Amino acid sequence: MSAAAVLHRTLAASWRPLVTATVLLVAAEAAQRAGLLPVFVPSPSQVIAEAVQDPRLIYENVGQTAWRAAVGYSIAAGIAIGAASLAVVVRPLYGPVYNLGVMLHSIPIIALAPLLATWIGTGSQLQIAIAALTSQFAMLVGTIQGLRAADARQRELLHVLSASRLQMLRYLLVPSALPYLFAGLKIAAPSAVLGAITAEWAGADRGVGAMMLYALFAYDTPKVWLSVLLTCLLAASGYAIWAAIEHVAIFWEPGTDLAEEP
Amino acid sequence: MVFEGRGQPVVALDKVDLHVPTGSFGSIIGPSGCGKSTLLRLVADVMQPFAGSVTLSGDTPRTARHEHAIGFVFQSPTLLPWRTVRQNVELPLDVVGRKSTRRSSKTPGELIELVGLKGFENALPHELSGGMQQRVAIARSLVLQPDVLLLDEPFGALDEITRQRMNLELLRIWAESGTTALLVTHSIAEAVFMSDQVHVMSARPGRIAGVVDVPLPRPRRLDMMRTPEFYDCVNRVRDGLFGRDSEPTPHGEPVEAY
Repeated sequence: MSAAAVLHRTLAASWRPLVTATVLLVAAEAAQRAGLLPVFVPSPSQVIAEAVQDPRLIYENVGQTAWRAAVGYSIAAGIAIGAASLAVVVRPLYGPVYNLGVMLHSIPIIALAPLLATWIGTGSQLQIAIAALTSQFAMLVGTIQGLRAADARQRELLHVLSASRLQMLRYLLVPSALPYLFAGLKIAAPSAVLGAITAEWAGADRGVGAMMLYALFAYDTPKVWLSVLLTCLLAASGYAIWAAIEHVAIFWEPGTDLAEEP
Repeated sequence: MVFEGRGQPVVALDKVDLHVPTGSFGSIIGPSGCGKSTLLRLVADVMQPFAGSVTLSGDTPRTARHEHAIGFVFQSPTLLPWRTVRQNVELPLDVVGRKSTRRSSKTPGELIELVGLKGFENALPHELSGGMQQRVAIARSLVLQPDVLLLDEPFGALDEITRQRMNLELLRIWAESGTTALLVTHSIAEAVFMSDQVHVMSARPGRIAGVVDVPLPRPRRLDMMRTPEFYDCVNRVRDGLFGRDSEPTPHGEPVEAY
């Protein structure tokens, strides 16, 4: 596809959401200025002004949260993918690993964060641990489902060829697991961001969560909204990074483009 | 061969006695559920019989499998979607190692040409039609020059026109490769057209009901399907399947006619 064609497709796919967003923002701005919205809903321009006024506020806090979320996410990815692979290869471990994943995922983070804070302190280690806890399950399930995704005929094919277990993994099981693994990685990325932010509420001097909490206590609504916006952007970028990598890595999925309506 | 299903064990195969001479083309025909695919999987060492034995030139299926002497073509192409046509054909070579002595005198490129896919070497499976994908599977099954080629309804999912063409191609490739072939099918005409011997199976439990020798000369041509010899063989296979008076089967089993 030529660059012009890519640009054309991108524009064709994105002009509608862009127009929708612009119309909504303009409407919110107009409604706020006409006094139709309650005082605790700021106009979009107020939120943007907040960001422009103090850009240091943004990158210091966003950088902190992004870093902690990324470290927690990476640790969770290592442990979850490793444990899931082990659970698929060593059958007796399947139940315990899966159950442990579910249990850890079911703990209410809002209660766990302060409890964990009294144990390991409120430094970065707390946010990293919570980010890891909130993001592990999607990657665990993705890996387990993925490694079991190869169909019976494909397994028979490798069996008839007398492939070793390692060859079975390399030539069949790992490649067929990739689409599921990417699904898990994509779902887990926003979870890690939200986990890190929730953990920051339990006591952190910096981070989007800390910024949100301070702004809430100060009734600084534009800043609260700004922190919400930053959270969304951070979580969505985590997803987008993996979606882009997936797009390149999973090259063999047939396209699902149907004919355009006239 | 007994399957422990839910509840009563199901006897899938019982008293099956089947012999395919070296270098010949045999086929197994029977109604759905008669155990033809099971029989093929016993030969390929994908399953093991509870009683009885299978030998391939004196070897057990396990030995033959470990020696990579078995080629298997499934009903669906069963290609690895992330590998190109060439990489799919080369998969068996990757598994046995490039230094192995067991490999076809033909290179993967020549095999791809043999199945008529020259120019598609770098295509991914999803870019090919079903018939083309199945031809890739056939090339892949030949790349290690198997002593035995097992074909499990390889063209069952294809339309009639493609199927006839594929049958002719398969016979040409088989004649060149010199392997022993065993084809499972539920098409009477296909079984007769392809084979030296047609083994007719009955269902529940699966047994060999009869063997029909096909005296048609080789190479086979489509116009042979109009000869009295061909019709005679078709009729004998049909008698084997339905009984001599060609009435519906006693249990009303569905039998695919051609």
